[in-house]
Amino acid sequence: MTGFDLHRAWSVARKEVMHILRDPFTLALALGLPVMLVTFFGYAIDFEVRDIKVAVADRDSGPAARRLKEIFSASGYFRLLETDGNPVEMLDSRRADAALFIEPGFSRDALAGRPARAQFVLDGSDNSKGAVMMGYLPGIQRAAALRLYGSEPAPAPLRLETRFLFNPELNSRWFMVPGLGAIIIGLLAILLTAMTVAREWENGSMELLLSTPVRPLEIIIGKLAPYGLLVLTGVFFVYLSARLVFGVPFLGSHLLFLLACLLFITAALSQGLFISVVTRQQQVAMQVGIISGLLPSMLLSGFIFPVESMPPFFQYFTMLLPPRWFIVAARGSFLKGAGAAELAVPLLALAGLSLLLLTLALKKFKTDLEP
Amino acid sequence: MTAGPALEVKNLSIKFGDFTAVDDVSFTVRRGEIFGFLGANGAGKTTTIRMLCGLLIPSSGSALVGGLGFADGGKGIKKIVGYMSQKFTLYNDLTVGENLDFAAGLRKLAPRYACARRRELFELIGFDRPLNTMVASLPGGVKQELALAAAMLHDPEIVFLDEPTSGVAPASRARFWALIRKVTELGKTVIVTTHYMDEAEQCGRIALMRTGRLIALGSPDELKASAFPGPMAELDFNGPAPAAFLRELEKAPGLLELSPHGMRWHAAFRDADSMEAALPASVPRALIKPSLEDVFIRLVEGAGR
Repeated sequence: MTGFDLHRAWSVARKEVMHILRDPFTLALALGLPVMLVTFFGYAIDFEVRDIKVAVADRDSGPAARRLKEIFSASGYFRLLETDGNPVEMLDSRRADAALFIEPGFSRDALAGRPARAQFVLDGSDNSKGAVMMGYLPGIQRAAALRLYGSEPAPAPLRLETRFLFNPELNSRWFMVPGLGAIIIGLLAILLTAMTVAREWENGSMELLLSTPVRPLEIIIGKLAPYGLLVLTGVFFVYLSARLVFGVPFLGSHLLFLLACLLFITAALSQGLFISVVTRQQQVAMQVGIISGLLPSMLLSGFIFPVESMPPFFQYFTMLLPPRWFIVAARGSFLKGAGAAELAVPLLALAGLSLLLLTLALKKFKTDLEP
Repeated sequence: MTAGPALEVKNLSIKFGDFTAVDDVSFTVRRGEIFGFLGANGAGKTTTIRMLCGLLIPSSGSALVGGLGFADGGKGIKKIVGYMSQKFTLYNDLTVGENLDFAAGLRKLAPRYACARRRELFELIGFDRPLNTMVASLPGGVKQELALAAAMLHDPEIVFLDEPTSGVAPASRARFWALIRKVTELGKTVIVTTHYMDEAEQCGRIALMRTGRLIALGSPDELKASAFPGPMAELDFNGPAPAAFLRELEKAPGLLELSPHGMRWHAAFRDADSMEAALPASVPRALIKPSLEDVFIRLVEGAGR
């Protein structure tokens, strides 16, 4: 199959654009998904925990106890619920996320400058929330010591100073939004191509195409190019909202990031093509496309769950998934200012995987022309 | 194009794994002929046509389509034939103009030429709706005619039509066949497959296929004459036929074929004498000319007998 005719590929592409423009589902999906994802992950899903309900059993009722409670409330993370009964019961019934016990004598000790104790009980059944609450406590402790004793607690002999690089405020939006490109490419590109090529198989038009002098490669390029552009537009939208709406910095190279996008798009389009050749039915192609597109890019790419905390098998397994490498490249480009040297591994991995998927899809497509 | 037959097929076979879909088929089609393939589903009609369009490469044997073979993988053939498939005609979500532009683009026709061809073909099929009509809104018959126009946009020598009238209203079927005749009057060769006997009657010659093999070839009259050399009688009992009589008749020595046609029965005999011997004078009968349906039943369905 030598020779590639741009004119014929262009004819196929033009026809595909007509299909897209006339199909409300495709258009809504392609334009709506990026907006929806940015809204969800930018606004609705917030990995910071606020408004933690704390049941308070204040058996001291002294001025120091009142100050301690003020500090909890003033932090913005906690909402205190005074209770006369047993706060643990409120934990049981999920009316509270944590309980604070202040024993009689707290104010007396604190005002006399003696060590005073209060107990904070957390609901460990939601471990991610629990971990976040734990993270807030040292700050509360420091603030309380300053108010009640006039000084910070005595420094421990050994102290670990923590400082967060790249995302100093641990802003979860900075972390999430740059990775959204992975979902958009991974889901949209795979799903849309799988469906559009499967449609040609299903309704028999593929045979009619092949009865003309058009070559398989021209059909493929013509059919996939419009979706590549559509998906790239989605990624650009994410980029713009990350920069302009959420103020995420972009410290790396735009060129390298674009290269990562193009490589990942190639891999995703190839995967979609492969699915369509194998399934040949729109319905099946859609289901396989969603599962094989969304699952890896959402759960196994490091988008939400860090790859480093996966069991060793999965850590190696994710190396076979293009979205994992794209996430590394995207976060590196946005937050770390990664250059060619840092991005060499993810970009090479993406290139290798795209080439592999493309070769597989083309081979399957050409050998399977016979229905 | 040089003169010579439109199709010259010799010992053509194709296998898919162990399954032989088309088995040692040979025939020749003259230019300007309407050549029909008749056979049950799975008889190999569509597969034969798909080979001759350059969509499938034969496993063995040879075929010259408009003088061209398969040495280039069917590319040359694809340029000089037009194909209308059974399953798909035109994209419903595109307009008439967009569909035809797409067909022209795939064949790299110059815009001016494509436009001129479009006008010619619209005149041929009598299409006078606006170009921006959505295909989805067209009646089935009109859609079929437009699909033929799309398949002929590049002015092919040979047009392959795979069950072009399946699912089309009877009146539209007749119109489409008138169109096929007009196409051959332009000097084109039309190869067509069909299920319908009345359509097969309109072919110049018919190839009868059964399980991948060509079992009879000829004009409708030739097929009838060779399948039924003797007389055929239509028996009309004005009600259900007496079962005992039919059982007797089936055993008659000169009987070639006995088949029900509605309430009537068709009985074909080797010669007039055996008919007289088998049919008592009391049986109401009329001598009839065998139809292609009788031929089909005798050659295709009754071949196992």
